[in-house]
Amino acid sequence: MFKILNLSNIFFWIEKLIGFINSIFFILLLVALSFALIFSPPDYLQGDSVRIMYVHVPSAWIGLAAFSSIAILSICHFIFKIKNIKLITKSIAPIGLMFTCLALVTGSIWGQPTWGTWWAWDARITSMLILALFYIGFISTQKFILDENKANKISSIIAIIGLINIPIIKYSVEWWNTLHQPASIKLTGESSIHSSMLTPLLLMFFVLLLYCALIFLMKYKTEIIRIKKKNLKRL
Amino acid sequence: MIQNILSMSGYGLFVWGSFTITFLACGLLYYKTYKTLKKYERDFANEINCLSAERKKVVIKNSKVASQVLSSFSETI
Repeated sequence: MFKILNLSNIFFWIEKLIGFINSIFFILLLVALSFALIFSPPDYLQGDSVRIMYVHVPSAWIGLAAFSSIAILSICHFIFKIKNIKLITKSIAPIGLMFTCLALVTGSIWGQPTWGTWWAWDARITSMLILALFYIGFISTQKFILDENKANKISSIIAIIGLINIPIIKYSVEWWNTLHQPASIKLTGESSIHSSMLTPLLLMFFVLLLYCALIFLMKYKTEIIRIKKKNLKRL
Repeated sequence: MIQNILSMSGYGLFVWGSFTITFLACGLLYYKTYKTLKKYERDFANEINCLSAERKKVVIKNSKVASQVLSSFSETI
């Protein structure tokens, strides 16, 4: 079992996975884009501007999921001191930051035709901005603190503190009176979105998840090579 | 029909703008990640190639990563 978790074995599987994702990615992207931009119907209230949802919502989901995984993995790192975990969180962080920023930017673009403003200091938007700041803090400590142990410790603390912000983002639309609409898709309970819109949304989410996996694997591979290069003298 | 898709009933700028920004950002991150990976692979392979023949043999024997990087690097040359 632990042999599988060996960096050399992981490296071998990364190569295979990158090849597989590359082979299916563009076909799935084309299908998802066709659904999102052509086949899905316009909203009865928002018209065609609702299509922004197909990039905005998956970006927000990925931004939130990436930070949650970084925080949970950081807790595991504190408890078990597994170095591999730090490589994983380091590889996830830039992806999470990019998608959080994309959620903010596309949300702002969507806000102009629907709310009549590019930006509002609304609870959901502000808490998402705070999430982006936590990402920047996490990445900056990894980049600018030269002592690796110290950088790992500080970045883990940032991630764990940032975890408090995740439920705030999730429930901000229920706790406060916000411009942002409440969630239309619920894991428990009935979703208020029609299947003709849910299908392209899930397709776009899947394609962007595949993209994240691709970037993560490439970044993780880079980190493995960096470590092996550092340890070359010991071999 | 194409006109309708482009104009999106007047929301074209917002819709196409959002999709363009998203895919540009994704493309840029992919390009940067790919470039960094290739740079690390090249540096690592060069470092192994600089070793003496005997030492190189030991490194390749002991490290699967080194042998894989070296073979993929020689494939791309």
